[in-house]
Amino acid sequence: MLNTELKEKIKKIIISELNLFDIDPLDIGDDDPLFGDKFGLDSIDAVELVFQVKHHFGVEIKDMNEGRPALQSVNTLTAYITKRLST
Amino acid sequence: MIRHFMKMNIEVQIPFEHHQSAHCETGVISNLLSHHGLPISEAMVFGIGSGLFFGYFPFIRLNHLPLSAFRISTGGIMKRVCKRLQVRVKWEKFRNHQKAMDVLDQRLAQQIPVGCRTGAFWLSYFPRRLRFHFNMHNLVVFGKKGSDYLISDPVFPDPVVCSESSLRKARFAKGSMPPKGKMYHIESVPDQVDLPKAISMSVKEVCRNMLKAPIPFIGVKGIRYLAKKMEKWPEKLGEEKASLYLGQIIRMQEEIGTGGAGFRFIYAAFLQEVAPILNDYRFLELSLRMTEIGDHWRAFALMASRNCKKRASKTENYLEMADILRHCAECEAKLLNDLSAITPDT
Repeated sequence: MLNTELKEKIKKIIISELNLFDIDPLDIGDDDPLFGDKFGLDSIDAVELVFQVKHHFGVEIKDMNEGRPALQSVNTLTAYITKRLST
Repeated sequence: MIRHFMKMNIEVQIPFEHHQSAHCETGVISNLLSHHGLPISEAMVFGIGSGLFFGYFPFIRLNHLPLSAFRISTGGIMKRVCKRLQVRVKWEKFRNHQKAMDVLDQRLAQQIPVGCRTGAFWLSYFPRRLRFHFNMHNLVVFGKKGSDYLISDPVFPDPVVCSESSLRKARFAKGSMPPKGKMYHIESVPDQVDLPKAISMSVKEVCRNMLKAPIPFIGVKGIRYLAKKMEKWPEKLGEEKASLYLGQIIRMQEEIGTGGAGFRFIYAAFLQEVAPILNDYRFLELSLRMTEIGDHWRAFALMASRNCKKRASKTENYLEMADILRHCAECEAKLLNDLSAITPDT
């Protein structure tokens, strides 16, 4: 899957699974912080996102410390998934 | 030889290998022991320190919410590891802030990396949004350049720099369990350690604590106790407060440096390492079972997060969550009984 396709898929998953109904994929910048004020997501949402990453991409994030840098933005998550899938 | 120096004028960088870890206490011990010629993984430190635990204490409040704990109390792992591996550690505590910083500089000048207890909130290298008032955060100071300290903070991927004023504030943070300038360094490590004996002692202690706790909030009983209480939260507390109680458990389980699933994944990694050391590959099977138990805890956390965020389906309710917890309790009881049976007596 191309990086752009992967990013689009990640954005759609975030919107649908974290119930961000009033947000369009275009509203999520590739480098926007996922957690914090902009989208109103917090560490409790991170648990769901970790599950969805495993469910959709087969990439398991066992340790939240390891996952924290990966979950910063769509770009970091894309890089993390790509790296894990290639190893 | 002790080198004398002027205050604040030392320039020192001890060659210290930094490794990131899931948890600060286990990470610091692992890094310090490795520096002193006793390479040991974080998982092994956690295991030998008998870190695995469960406790639900509704009468102890953290941020006004009941406390749940997935590991033994802070400091307990270090104490046990050093005792079981016969590592001598020197602890120092200070009232005078300046003296605390001076003695730290002295140790650095002696090429001794120093562990410090700190209040994480005051450490300048912590991003603002990750700062919280926790006064038992461990780190290693391994150098000083000008008035900045070089720090190996095990929860960060790389070594960091902290100003003298921030570190001083962090070492003397006020509030609950203040660190009071506490610092420690390793004085000696034995030439040979009896790892099998240390492992056996630690495993037996975990099994005892988790299976035979005399009070209902601790160990496997504690997991069942939480399940029983949780079922009644919505009617007793209302949906909103029940969500806050759930959120607190998720944070303690998944977020506070647990390595995932409330330290269950770290303990699984420990059991995996134990197999070749005790030359008993039944530990590998138990490691896999512990990972599965961690997955059950994760399933609980996922359902709990959906309830907190009002994303849960009708079947993902408090009764279902309580059932998952009971299943975790049952699996942990079986595993720990099996673990106790195959672990040699010391």
